[in-house]
Amino acid sequence: MVLRSIASRMALWVLAGSTLVLAAIGALLLSLTRAQILQHTHHEAAALAASAGSEIQARIDRVAISAQMLATIIATRQDSAEPLLRDTLQANRDMDGLAAVFRPSSNPVDALPYSPFVGRLDNGALASRDLSRDAKPYWKSNWFLGGLGCSAGCWQRPFLSLSRQRQLINYSVAISHEGHPVGIINADVTLDWLHRILGHLDKPEGAYAFVLDSDGDYLAHDNPALVGKRGAPALLEALASDQAESVRLSVAQNPQVHGAVWVYSAPIEGTHWRLGLVVPEVQIYAGVRRIFLWGLLLGILALLCVALITLLTIRRTMAPLGVLADRAEHVARGELDFELPSTSRHDEVGRLTQSFDQMRHELALHLQDLARVAREKQRLASELEIAHQIQIGLLPSEHYLDAVCAHFELHAALRPARAVGGDLYSYFMLDPERFFVMVGDVSDKGIPAALFMAQTITLAKALAPRAQTPRNLLRLLNLELCRGNDSCMFVTLLCGLLDTNSGNLVLASAGHEPPILCGHGAPQLLDFITGAVLGLYEDSDYPEHHLRLRQGETLLMYTDGITEASDHHQQMYGIERTVECLAQVPSAAPTAGYIERLLGDVDRFVADAAQADDITLLALTWHGAAQADADVCVASQLADVFAGLDRCEHLLQQANVPSALRGDMRLVLEELMVNTVEYGYPDGRVGQIRVLLQPRPDAVTVELIDDGVAFDPLQSVCPNLPGDLADHEQIGGLGIHLARTVTSEMRYTRDAHGNHLLLRFIYPNQNGSSS
Amino acid sequence: MTLSLHTEFPAPDRVIVHVGGRLDAMTFGELDEAMPALFRRLDDGGTVVIDLAGLEYVSSAGLRSFAKIRKSMRARGGHTLLLNPQPQVRKVFDIVKAVPVSEVFTSTQELDAYLDRMQRQITEGDSDA
Repeated sequence: MVLRSIASRMALWVLAGSTLVLAAIGALLLSLTRAQILQHTHHEAAALAASAGSEIQARIDRVAISAQMLATIIATRQDSAEPLLRDTLQANRDMDGLAAVFRPSSNPVDALPYSPFVGRLDNGALASRDLSRDAKPYWKSNWFLGGLGCSAGCWQRPFLSLSRQRQLINYSVAISHEGHPVGIINADVTLDWLHRILGHLDKPEGAYAFVLDSDGDYLAHDNPALVGKRGAPALLEALASDQAESVRLSVAQNPQVHGAVWVYSAPIEGTHWRLGLVVPEVQIYAGVRRIFLWGLLLGILALLCVALITLLTIRRTMAPLGVLADRAEHVARGELDFELPSTSRHDEVGRLTQSFDQMRHELALHLQDLARVAREKQRLASELEIAHQIQIGLLPSEHYLDAVCAHFELHAALRPARAVGGDLYSYFMLDPERFFVMVGDVSDKGIPAALFMAQTITLAKALAPRAQTPRNLLRLLNLELCRGNDSCMFVTLLCGLLDTNSGNLVLASAGHEPPILCGHGAPQLLDFITGAVLGLYEDSDYPEHHLRLRQGETLLMYTDGITEASDHHQQMYGIERTVECLAQVPSAAPTAGYIERLLGDVDRFVADAAQADDITLLALTWHGAAQADADVCVASQLADVFAGLDRCEHLLQQANVPSALRGDMRLVLEELMVNTVEYGYPDGRVGQIRVLLQPRPDAVTVELIDDGVAFDPLQSVCPNLPGDLADHEQIGGLGIHLARTVTSEMRYTRDAHGNHLLLRFIYPNQNGSSS
Repeated sequence: MTLSLHTEFPAPDRVIVHVGGRLDAMTFGELDEAMPALFRRLDDGGTVVIDLAGLEYVSSAGLRSFAKIRKSMRARGGHTLLLNPQPQVRKVFDIVKAVPVSEVFTSTQELDAYLDRMQRQITEGDSDA
């Protein structure tokens, strides 16, 4: 939790880093200091040992010189030996006793020579005795025999004098007379002074000194318990080695000292003694360790202070960042209206705050911009949607059935690639016997194309009555479209004019794809000569192509959206595939079947590639002037009408029309015919009503013809139906409403014969519902 | 096939009219003519039940006849209930929304339950008064 803030983490890291660095430096310094201190101690201790050694040597030299002088003097003046000994003893207090002993003469009869021994009593007085009178003959003792060999003087082994209760050591010098040893001077030397010298040495604290004799026994030691004992083998071995001056021993012999020790030694000349100074290692480093511990403590304190200061400083520096982080969350939520900490700092935090503020402002502007663009986009989309609706409204419905005799049928499909497109189709009855149809494609796509398409369709409809023929229409249309066409847009157009009685068809094309004739044998591409596209060249001409549709033939018109439909590999659908696909449509197929088949095939070919161009498809089927299967003709009187209805029902029953559909048809026919009887002849004359029944496999087509007044049931107003007829005063329009609702399809035309009403009833099992 | 009419009076305030065959522009007159006599025999506030089980076909003329009956009964403070409409009749009713759905019953049981409920309401209304 605490470590989540940058300040605490940085403080921690600073602390850790400093500790590491300081520890490394401290360790290095410690080791250097230790080496230095050790060196220093070596020098000091060696000097101390040397000076102590020389002091001891000076004392010893005095004893040795005195003894040697005595030996020289006494060699010639044997008689005055005792006073000489007394004087010498008086002068040198290091000596405890002096003896001058002589070898007895070889003649056993001779008296033993006077061999005086002068000793110092406890009270300081000197006492003498003759050693030759001792019970034990001295001349046979080892000290005497050994002394005879020491013409230059030798130090004997120390011994404990039982008589004087102290440690003594002898110095013996042979008395030579005429080159032969005749006796010896033997000096008893006390070792008290040696102890004193060691005791008074200016030793470092905890150190101790000792003197080893030639045998490796302790002559003197600061620890009296060790005096006379033998030195430890490790010590002796170390002292015997070359670097005898300073030696490190891991264990000291002295039980009062623990741990490793450094031993500094110096030889004492003239003897085989060695003075040693022992300094415990702990003691050498005690000072530096104490200082180091203090340093460590202070260092830790300093580090803690540094960490604290770092923490506070960083926290203080970072405080605006925390606020910024908080504000950034506001921004993420889309709230841009907030206070930022005011800053006059010019460091990174200050710059960050300023940029944050700037970012907030620019973000707000950007958001406004975005909202505006979104509104604009929405408006455009809605306008585009309206444009789409308008464009769809310009197109006639996708299905047209000839109202007079059902001689022909038309199905169309238009699929814009975008909301609005440049493809177009249109059809209308130019007059009661001529049906005009056209399919076109504007050069561009999108809104410009849609506008051009609207212009073309509107112009075509307006110009058709004047033009009368496809050739004329294309010429007039071309002239109109060329006018003011600065953007050089153009449209390809295929026009057809169908004679609804004969099936004669006149075609003219302005650069449009050739239509395909299907239905009898293989589909046939009608590749006749076309004129130039509309809108570019004013003097273009459009040759006509004449043909007569046979019964069951279908003319298929399309735009390049079909042939140029591309799959993922940019491969086009092409005219060959189009023809192949149409060849597979059975010849008796309904008109819509061609369109469904072709569109389905194109969709499969394109798969999920985007539609690049608008697709338009129009199929015109000629059913021919086939005779109605049943023709019922009745007078415009109620009884006749019902007789006619019964006949119709009988005929439909014979044609195996399902009973539900018969009921619907009876209802529609009754309503329409009763309506005609009641309102069609206001002048009272008796008219004629004809019912032509054409049962087909999928539907029944009924043509209702009367010679009454003009009446289009499709134009009648739908009655208000509140849910209870009894609420109405006058109930009108019910029958027409019923008829319109129940009929699948209804078309009305009026010609010289009167009202033509074409009704279609699709079989319920094919469509799922009967209405 | 023409129209067939058959009436019965199970109670003084109720008449059941069985309508069969076709009710169209030719035959609706028969129903129209038969009704006034029935109304005269019926108490005010009574109920006319039109049983349509036998009616195969109705056109807008028939719808108008039913509307006239309903209008007359309403003027007399009575009710008109329709029973058992056949598919074609039902379809025509649905298209022009001729009668409130609550007044069309598909079975006699449903109708009886409704009449009982209505009866109870009336008697309770009387005892309250």
